[in-house]
Amino acid sequence: MLEIKNLYASVDGREILKGLDLTLPAGEVHAIMGPNGSGKSTLSYVLAGKEDYEVTQGSVTWNGQDLLDMKPDERAAAGVFLAFQYPMEIPGVATMTFLRNAVNAVRKACGQEEYSTPDFLRIVKQKAKDLKIDIEMLRRPLNVGFSGGEKKRNEVLQMSLLEPGLCILDETDSGLDIDALRIVSEGVNALRSPERSMLVITHYQRLLNYIVPDRVHVLSKGRVARSGGPELAVELEKSGYADYADDEATAA
Amino acid sequence: MDLSVQQFRSKAEQALLDIYEASADGLPGSASIAAMRQSAIRTFSSLGLPHRRIEAWKYTDLRGAIDDVPSLAASTGVSVDAAALEAALGTPIIGVRAYRLVLAEGEFRADLSDVSGLREAGVEFGSLAQALEAPPSWLTESLNETASREGDVLLALNTALMSCGVVLRLPEGLTLQKPIHIVHLDGASMASSTFARNVIIAEEGASATVIESFGTLGANASQHNAVTALTLGSKSAIHHIKLQREALETIHLNVWAANVGAEARYNAFQISMGSALARNQIDVRFGGEGAATDVSGATLARGKQHCDTTLVVEHNVPACESREMFKLVLDDAARGIFQGKIVVAPDAQKTDGKQMSQALLLSETAEFDSKPELEIYADDVVCGHGATSGQIDEDLLFYLRARGLPEAQARALLIQAFVGEVFEVLDDESLGEVFANVSAEWLGAAAE
Repeated sequence: MLEIKNLYASVDGREILKGLDLTLPAGEVHAIMGPNGSGKSTLSYVLAGKEDYEVTQGSVTWNGQDLLDMKPDERAAAGVFLAFQYPMEIPGVATMTFLRNAVNAVRKACGQEEYSTPDFLRIVKQKAKDLKIDIEMLRRPLNVGFSGGEKKRNEVLQMSLLEPGLCILDETDSGLDIDALRIVSEGVNALRSPERSMLVITHYQRLLNYIVPDRVHVLSKGRVARSGGPELAVELEKSGYADYADDEATAA
Repeated sequence: MDLSVQQFRSKAEQALLDIYEASADGLPGSASIAAMRQSAIRTFSSLGLPHRRIEAWKYTDLRGAIDDVPSLAASTGVSVDAAALEAALGTPIIGVRAYRLVLAEGEFRADLSDVSGLREAGVEFGSLAQALEAPPSWLTESLNETASREGDVLLALNTALMSCGVVLRLPEGLTLQKPIHIVHLDGASMASSTFARNVIIAEEGASATVIESFGTLGANASQHNAVTALTLGSKSAIHHIKLQREALETIHLNVWAANVGAEARYNAFQISMGSALARNQIDVRFGGEGAATDVSGATLARGKQHCDTTLVVEHNVPACESREMFKLVLDDAARGIFQGKIVVAPDAQKTDGKQMSQALLLSETAEFDSKPELEIYADDVVCGHGATSGQIDEDLLFYLRARGLPEAQARALLIQAFVGEVFEVLDDESLGEVFANVSAEWLGAAAE
């Protein structure tokens, strides 16, 4: 279970999150929606532990552990996974090498035995096939020259290999055409389980037709302004974010 | 009053002159070789060691850096076994399947070498010292050519004092399947100076890979002046590879000088990771149309290491191509230098020359100096150069850490990726892997 209490965070001295509260029970999928600048991506980076994001107040616990006290790689080992909105391109590192390094690093941190190369290859091949990823693509440098869809599928592949307990998907739908959106969503849905919590961050309701959330939270000015069931996303699609606009009067 | 400038002679300069005086009679070679040595030491005596007011030595003040010069390596029967050889050079390069010629303090060591089949393959080879006693015409030509590169003090000193090295000649049309690996091991029991000259001749259409590696046995303050002179006949190809892994207290001065004939290819690749002070000079002269060169490599330096790579490519004839790509990883207070000069003669039209140097600085105190020099006298050419320096990208680092890689491992992976790009120029994938392992080993030490 993820518990965020009264979270304040700043970037470059600018306060973005202002008293955010959120509880995500095990096995549930919650969507975070909201207008641009409401703090959606900031929340994802704070949870993953990016250094330039400074938490000034509040707490975040993951299964009882203080998440804010952990380094990014320790969070990964504890089962936190952030699917990046803009996955990084790393020339000179073969995708397969990266995947093996990542999976074995997490296994090692959890006291599990590292995979041998043949074992690992077999696992990757199967999972890549499920996501319609060409194995040839995995021999190329990480994300270099990948299309938007290929990058996002690669993120989901990493997620399925690392088997995290908490998946944070940061605008995974951005830059995807309708076919890619379906493949990515199917990949994500296949990972839904009673032990796994997911935080799906999106600007649009479209993604939530494919990944149906248990709860929807609307972020505005750095805090949760409203929460509801899946029907809230549909309502937002009609009304827009006007009610949550950057206007001090409506925020009050 | 005499107003002529009386040049101050540094202790090291005097030591070099004294070494010559004391050893001239015992240095190998015929009377004509002795005359050549004498002329060379006169050149040195008038020029002295290069200093920073000489443009080509702007960033490496050799005169200021060398306090003294240890005496010539004179030991024979140096105690070195296979394990010591491996310790000096590292496991990856020792694993390369090759004809191997090991020189311990200049002495050819049959017990550590493996040249079986090399003569049968048609390659003429032997020790420089022996060859100098009655030099064949191809050797004399090479020596004269090197002597004509006036004004290069490293070459002059080498000519004056050369006493060891390998000469080899590939006959017309021979393609050697296995590389030739020349191993230079120095500093066995006490600090010493070694002056090695290798001469490599590829006759028309011949091709081979030649690896040179440099390591230190135990005495760390040794100095090495090593020159390899190459002559590439038309349509020949030499892939010339170097691993410099000397002890961190040594001084390593190295010149590769290649004359490249028509439609020939000379590829040079160097990895520098040892020595307190290293100067790597690569001079390529095109003497025939349609020739090509690819000069690339990497410098890995930390502590107070100083590593200078200076390239000169002379496009003297039309339609030749040159590519230069160097990567530097600099940590602590290390200093890396890249100087790349491309000279295009007035009638060298259709020249295609490109150069790139990139440094990754791992600390605030590391320094990278880059100086491209393009001297273009022809008007129908394509020439370009670029230089970058930067730090590890924090966003990439975060991405890797968010996937579970601990910081040190993530850094190492990014550094490997940065350097790795340069290994891709090696045609031989297994050699690319060897150097990836060499750099991984260096990084492993960095993580400690």
